[in-house]
Amino acid sequence: MKVYREDEKTLQGRIDVLFWAVVAAFIVLASSFWYVQVVQAEKYRDLSDANALRDVTVRAQRGLILDRKGRVLAENQPSHTLVLMRNELSQSTRRDETHLPRLVRFVSTVLGLNEAEVTRRIEKGRATPVNLPLTIAEDLSIPQVASIEAGKLTFPALSVESTASRNYPNATIAAHVLGYMGEASAEELKRRPELRMGDLVGRRGVELVYDTELRGKDGAKFIVVDSHGRVKEEYDKLSREPQRGQNIYLTIDLDLQRKAEQYFMENEMVGSCVVLDPRNGEVLALVSSPAYDPNIYSKRFTSTVWKTILSNPFRIEVNRAIQGLYSPGSVFKIVMGMAGLELGVIDESTQFHCAGSESFYGRRFRCWNKNGHGSVNLEEAIKVSCDVFFYNLGAKLGVNRIADYSHLLTFGEQTTIDLEGEKPGLVPSESWARDKQKRKWYPSETISVAIGQGPLLVTPLQVANMMAAIANGGSVYQPHVLHQRQVNDAAGKPQTLTVAPRLLHKIHLDPQALSAVRTGLWRVVNEAGGTGAKARVEGIDVAGKTGTVQVVAQEGWVRADDLPFKFRDHAWFASYAPKENAELVVVIFVEHGGHGGSDAAPLARILYETVFADRLHGGGGRITSPQARATAPQPVGPPPGTAR
Amino acid sequence: MSELRDTSFQTGPFSRLVSSRTLSRLDLNLLGTAILIAAIGSVLVFSATAEGKDAQLFGKQLVWIAVGIVAMLIFTFIDYRLLLDIALPLWIVGILLLGWLLVWGQETAKVKSWIHLGAFQFQPSEFVKIFTVLLVAKHFDSHSEPYLTLRSMLTLGGIVGLPVVMIVVQPDFGTAATFVPVAFAAVFLGGIRPRFWIIGTVIALLAAPVIWFGFLQPYQKERVMIFVDPQRDPHGSGYQVMQSKIAIGSGGITGKGFREGTQAKLEYLPARHTDFIFAVLGEEWGFVGVLVMLTLYLFFITSALRIAKSARDRAGTFLAVCLTSFFIFHILINVGMQIGLLPTTGIPLPLVSYGGSSMLMFFIATGLILNVDYRKFVNVG
Repeated sequence: MKVYREDEKTLQGRIDVLFWAVVAAFIVLASSFWYVQVVQAEKYRDLSDANALRDVTVRAQRGLILDRKGRVLAENQPSHTLVLMRNELSQSTRRDETHLPRLVRFVSTVLGLNEAEVTRRIEKGRATPVNLPLTIAEDLSIPQVASIEAGKLTFPALSVESTASRNYPNATIAAHVLGYMGEASAEELKRRPELRMGDLVGRRGVELVYDTELRGKDGAKFIVVDSHGRVKEEYDKLSREPQRGQNIYLTIDLDLQRKAEQYFMENEMVGSCVVLDPRNGEVLALVSSPAYDPNIYSKRFTSTVWKTILSNPFRIEVNRAIQGLYSPGSVFKIVMGMAGLELGVIDESTQFHCAGSESFYGRRFRCWNKNGHGSVNLEEAIKVSCDVFFYNLGAKLGVNRIADYSHLLTFGEQTTIDLEGEKPGLVPSESWARDKQKRKWYPSETISVAIGQGPLLVTPLQVANMMAAIANGGSVYQPHVLHQRQVNDAAGKPQTLTVAPRLLHKIHLDPQALSAVRTGLWRVVNEAGGTGAKARVEGIDVAGKTGTVQVVAQEGWVRADDLPFKFRDHAWFASYAPKENAELVVVIFVEHGGHGGSDAAPLARILYETVFADRLHGGGGRITSPQARATAPQPVGPPPGTAR
Repeated sequence: MSELRDTSFQTGPFSRLVSSRTLSRLDLNLLGTAILIAAIGSVLVFSATAEGKDAQLFGKQLVWIAVGIVAMLIFTFIDYRLLLDIALPLWIVGILLLGWLLVWGQETAKVKSWIHLGAFQFQPSEFVKIFTVLLVAKHFDSHSEPYLTLRSMLTLGGIVGLPVVMIVVQPDFGTAATFVPVAFAAVFLGGIRPRFWIIGTVIALLAAPVIWFGFLQPYQKERVMIFVDPQRDPHGSGYQVMQSKIAIGSGGITGKGFREGTQAKLEYLPARHTDFIFAVLGEEWGFVGVLVMLTLYLFFITSALRIAKSARDRAGTFLAVCLTSFFIFHILINVGMQIGLLPTTGIPLPLVSYGGSSMLMFFIATGLILNVDYRKFVNVG
């Protein structure tokens, strides 16, 4: 019944070709197996009997972290790590059931840990390949190393590896920028195949964000060991040299950072300080106080130590500069003033009358000064921080225009600084109330927003970025902490890569409007009766704004048993200098600090004096003179590449 | 190759056991070999996993084999002509499923990890393989030229290329690569003129750098580089192949015996019940076991190709050859990587490696080949 077609013969021929190709391939396979299983059988049987192929990770040295002048912020220290070879262990435990309990007892005696903790650390490695060493403890002392080596005959699965541990020589200084190290989690091990169980990886800050750059590439070698774990030979063929990680230079200036942190510590203040270079967005200091000691965090610690850290009421691991959300208070009046001028709602001479209070939408809003400020224009309103002036301005602008303008200055969104966990904050608007709150926006709320209260929430870094835009004439830069990286080019020669400033966007600012705001800010610091007088530096035109906020909402800080403290006002001081051709922005925030002028402003003075020290003691004259400017040294460290 | 034309299935080792008319028409050589291979596979899975946390996998494997045999019989007795008639709608449904996965299924469409642990849930791409083969066979049914025309090649490219592209986007290169043998078998069988060989070679040479720089993920490049230069990653696949070779080599001629393999059992060998199960065979049953297994596979392929030659129509021939090409591809790649002849990939050993998806797919493929044989005479229902 079969119907043969014309081409059937061809088709059959092709199938035959396919068949013989398969036969040929099978013959190749069979002879390869013959070679491995018959010719080389003995060699592989030896390897199998010894169960002896051990692969050893040769760890790459992690890159250093240095400040902009090349001073070390994070380095490596030689250290000894106790590892467990689980393939060895399973062999030993098969021979002798008491082996594991004895090993646990031995390790706990040597390390001074309890047996449960040792068992927990061994259990943790269950899911990892048995051929890879499992880290049990780091930073062994020399006597401990000796004890382990002596015990190796009984416990061949134990072995001591020479590694490097991370050391932060300045302890808490710049801790929130640097971050710390921690053991790679199961999820990270999955996501990043280059990591091994027990590896330390960056957990926070620069250590996390630039982990790949800092890490380098681990090397490896295969060694053949006998049943006592003694090395018989090395398999050079499969070895690979480790590649060390890149050194990273930060924009941070250690001197400024240290001075700022000391100020917080000496005055027992909780808060944050951000110092920016308004010309390029470089972060010269970023303080969150109180700070942790990354040296303690970066060790594998017992659960008790963890509990102590977690129970700290100050939530020290929160980086307040980028994660603390606060009402901006009067500092927001700068934004209001710029918005009013730019959108043509007011001009420099527009006056509002302050009688100590005023009614809006059927509600009475009071100025902080009960007696009133009389008729004031923007410049004066900024100087005396008149609330009524800004109530009127807010009512004229409306919340949506305030919100749009705020977003231009990176409020309500991340500044995209190269640190992890930055919070966007909150800028309310009618659509926000409708979409997020499922309610109507009340016009009276706009009046609160106009003086930086209400639902408005900002981070200190956002305020600093806003001040930078005022200081440099409207350029909003991406703030960044990475200054330079040292990498090896294709030829293996070290090369320094410098981060170029990145302009997020440019806001058009009318020179006259800008001048009015800047003069107002200058008067806050430099005129009699100004609230920022404590930031005054003789010889430098500091411009700034204080702010005092009633506690409305904040993250990362709850201390219910201390109500009076809790309800104490927060203090802001946002500033830059010099008034024209600005070189530095300093923003300080003190939680429950009372008044911005008294608590925060003095630190600004200290920092300006540090940065502009040469100009102050050298010529003594105003730095606005062209000659003085020309000869003045750069305030922010050596040019790229000169770091040691 | 006249012995391949021989359709005297009555002489096979399993034929005498069955007397019923229906069963006697089945190619019991193929059917029996498939079940025998799966049975040996389950013994190997048992040996590889009997100790430790994976002990329950043997039971699961038996369930999968049972499900597979049922699926095989179903796909034997539905007339493949009927399946060809609805091949296009099936293929379209498959494409839509893949599209749905791309848009909605991010969480399930994960990249296969280095060590292939066998996906327990069935992936649409496995179905699409079968649908694609059906549509390829249907296409060639009406094509009776001695060589492929350009038009026919483009159609073929569309049928195989579209699902491949969609799987590559997932991105799952491993599964996408398993479509290659279908395209290859179809093109080879359809016939290619010399000038197309030249054009094809040129295109491949041009496409290689584009794929390398444009599409391959870093880890995939790394894998290719490691094959070229094993020193790049001694911890990963380098280690795996090393341990696999130690296991196989130490098995010697006769092996260490059932459940006596130490390399595999002591967890030195990763993926020992899935991708590297052949190494367990090599260690415990030695060179003899390896030869037996390879012979069984060769016998299976021989039977399948004989069925292809005796099919009643072109579609049947193409269907059987394309399906057989799956087996050939998987066997060669998997066995080849055990001793480092080929790069380590997540390609399972047909009917043996632990894992439901591939077990089901290969049993269905076997069923369809049996189907072609069952209906080689026009008068069979």
